Amino acid sequence: MRAIVHSTTRAAWRLCLLTLAILLPALAQAQSADDAQPVTSLTISSSGALLVLQGSDLFAIEDGTLTEIALPATDQGAQPTSMARGADGSIYVAGPGLGVWRYDSAGESWQSLNDTLPDLGVTAMAAHATQPGTLYAYLGKDGMFRSRDGGAKWVRVDSGPPEPVLAFLHSDMPGSMESGWLFAATTRGVSRSMDCFCFWGDAGDLRGTVSAIGYDPAAPENVYAVIEGQLHHSADGGETWISLKTPQSVTALAFSPSQGLVVGTANGSLLARGGADQWTPVHE
Amino acid sequence: MPVVALTSGRLSMNKWVYSLVLLAAPVFADASGGPGSSESAPTGVAQGRQIYEQYCAACHGRQGEGAANWKKPDEKGEIPPPPHDETGHTWRHSDAMLFKMIANGWRHPFNKSDRLTMPAFGKQMTAQEIQSVIDYLKTLWTEEQRDYQKTESQ
Repeated sequence: MRAIVHSTTRAAWRLCLLTLAILLPALAQAQSADDAQPVTSLTISSSGALLVLQGSDLFAIEDGTLTEIALPATDQGAQPTSMARGADGSIYVAGPGLGVWRYDSAGESWQSLNDTLPDLGVTAMAAHATQPGTLYAYLGKDGMFRSRDGGAKWVRVDSGPPEPVLAFLHSDMPGSMESGWLFAATTRGVSRSMDCFCFWGDAGDLRGTVSAIGYDPAAPENVYAVIEGQLHHSADGGETWISLKTPQSVTALAFSPSQGLVVGTANGSLLARGGADQWTPVHE
Repeated sequence: MPVVALTSGRLSMNKWVYSLVLLAAPVFADASGGPGSSESAPTGVAQGRQIYEQYCAACHGRQGEGAANWKKPDEKGEIPPPPHDETGHTWRHSDAMLFKMIANGWRHPFNKSDRLTMPAFGKQMTAQEIQSVIDYLKTLWTEEQRDYQKTESQ
């Protein structure tokens, strides 16, 4: 009888140890993933605060202080994938299943701008560099929509580039027939069009799936694009590109008036570019 | 008082008749077939077409069909002349922008030469002639495109 109890206890212990051996790595991985989510999108507020979209969280970092901003509450739990600052300083977020939302900083609330969009499948959005009410939303197969009144009325203006758009921006780089340029991060590379949507063409020979795109508002010919975590820079409006060394895989970028180029990384870090290939943490 | 009323009525009638004459005059002029008729001095769309054929058709095509590979820049980075018909993008621009383009020309920023991508015609055409060319171009678009361009022009 004793032998039976002993062997049963030993078997139970072995089972416990085996279960722990299987579960522990998974638990450890889950913990590290929670701690280090990739930065989804970055932008700079009108006061100079760095706004960080990371998973289902939005933070503002200013003077070393981090403040959490509650994102719009949706029934389906959709997460924003895109964030932009309008010419008047308004902050917008967008995402599939979410549509486009504007943040009211005075009321600390979000306003839906989706009344006239065909659906909420917005995969990317951008704000005009100089016209406060002009916004752009990309809805995949439905194409590119534009609003000139701050999101009250959306009009389909174009089908967009031939390849799917993952992110895009509006810049006031000179030389456009109209008021600026659109640079789109696509699965083929960077696509470029004047903001009359005359036609989309390749911006240089950079090839690959571009996951993030940004530019320097103070020198708009400087465009940055990320392909598989690798940061690339063009100093001539997308005609030619060079790669930039970064200590970590880049997932998002923005230009800060005080810190210059700031990137968000795959493990959740925020780094500012000092000199050539010199990166310093923005917020510990 | 009745005299004043009668005078005022005559003035109103004169204005009405004057307006009618102004509206009808081009119709009679077109119908006369003599010197100054639509054949020798066309107005509006007809004039625009004639000017288009004189200055624009050599590059943009007689029917506004544009160059064959107009979306592909050449070795100098120049964009070939685009179509002006419904397959192009002319309809995406406002009247004011089209006028500016025709009068002042335009250089594509990625053009590796110094020459204008679109030459300026401000010295060859009067403002009225440029507008008539724009009016003619509108006849090459779809109704939907005309509506879009009308909104862009507002």
